Amino acid sequence: MKRKIISCILIIIFIAAVAYVLLSKRGVDDTDVLIQSSQRDSNKYTATVIDLFDTKTDIIGYTDSEEQFNKDADQVVSDLQYYNRIYDIYNDYDGINNVKTINDNAGDKPVTVDKELIDMIKFGKEMYYETDGRINIAMGAVLSIWHEYREAGLDNPAKAKLPTKEELQEANQHTNIEDIIIDEENCTVFLKDGKMSLDVGGIAKGYAVQKAVDKAKKHGISNILLNVGGNISCIGARADGTNFMVAIQNPDLESDELYADSFGIEDGTCVVSSGDYQRFYEVDGKRYCHIINPDTLFPSEEFAQISIVTKDSAFADAYSTALFNMTLEEGKEFISNHDGVEAMWVKPDGTKVYSDGFDNLVDTDN
Amino acid sequence: MKKNDVILIASLLIICAISLLAIKLWQKQSTTDKSYVRVEVDGKVYGTYPLNEERTEKIQFENGSYNVLVIKDGKADITEASCPDQICVRHMPIHYSDESIVCLPNKLTVTVVGGQENEIDATTN
Ligand SMILES: [Zn+2]
Repeated sequence: MKRKIISCILIIIFIAAVAYVLLSKRGVDDTDVLIQSSQRDSNKYTATVIDLFDTKTDIIGYTDSEEQFNKDADQVVSDLQYYNRIYDIYNDYDGINNVKTINDNAGDKPVTVDKELIDMIKFGKEMYYETDGRINIAMGAVLSIWHEYREAGLDNPAKAKLPTKEELQEANQHTNIEDIIIDEENCTVFLKDGKMSLDVGGIAKGYAVQKAVDKAKKHGISNILLNVGGNISCIGARADGTNFMVAIQNPDLESDELYADSFGIEDGTCVVSSGDYQRFYEVDGKRYCHIINPDTLFPSEEFAQISIVTKDSAFADAYSTALFNMTLEEGKEFISNHDGVEAMWVKPDGTKVYSDGFDNLVDTDN
Repeated sequence: MKKNDVILIASLLIICAISLLAIKLWQKQSTTDKSYVRVEVDGKVYGTYPLNEERTEKIQFENGSYNVLVIKDGKADITEASCPDQICVRHMPIHYSDESIVCLPNKLTVTVVGGQENEIDATTN
């Protein structure tokens, strides 16, 4: 009897061992992610915030505890909040001089601002010269006209209208980047032309993400990914050491294919897309997107989407807007002249074009 | 080996196989069964709706604004909204864990709780 019991127990242990091996094996090569995910993603956390940069922000982190993640996410969000306020062109905040304050005092007087705002405006000027004016933060006068027409057109689609060439050209008389007077010693910014204004929409988000990532690094935060309205950047990798996986939204939102592409990104790699499919309005059935070409003063129609991959989010954001206002040939030449910057263009018909080194900068293994 | 031993081993094997299958099925059931969407308005929970029950929920605001949430085939989608930008309506249906659709003008978020992990950590837009 005793022997029987022992053999019974042995058989049960044997079966349990076999079952364990079988089960864990299935978890690895099965597309059923159940077992896999419970092991690998046990410490994955997500925080979503909707009051930053007029867009959705996701923070994804792999940490040992939820407390740790909340602490990390709070740190990142409070840094982003600070940048959101000082780079804001539409809202006032108590006790803060921001881009709107500078605009409100155009032609009137210099405004004392934080060094971090001066730095961003300097970066904007730098981008203007580097891209031959394809991105111009001094174009507020033109962009605000488009903004008004777009808002009115969205509120009342039946009466949606286009601005006239004349009013755009008149506004374009007040977009000279040299009229932004920066006094670094006194930390002031002055717009010499009373009719000009700054619109930092094409660079501020990416610039802020890079600054927030730099600060997070200093705080020792790792294994974290930021997605601020499509401006993606990461520190480290997932908990298991594999790269964060990033997808490029398919600009054709009607398509069954969700993504135009997807790939892994290494520590510090940033991805940004600019496109005509998210923010636009329609006039007589034609789509007019929010990216305005400084040369034509009308929306660019050359591409449906441009994505930039590089190691700095500020450059990624600025370049993706600038490339939208270039031809494919100009853009290709621009990218080939910039080491460590790669691009993917999607034409309106869905054709994809990659820069030569694109695959070297992303991880296409998984 | 006696005949009884063979029967014993065989029945143990069968019991194990059945319980394995049961565990597997139960696990699968429980993730899809338990996954739901949490609707928040201005940071406050408005309601939670299981993803395995088809439903159409109109979220109506005092100022007349609204979003229509449709749950179908285990996925949640905003199919109609009063917001001018319509970004929430253009968003793809969601079902992965922590995936969300946001309507900024209405300060509304729809977030999946539980459910499958997405292989993709972030998508550009
Ligand atoms: Zn909406």
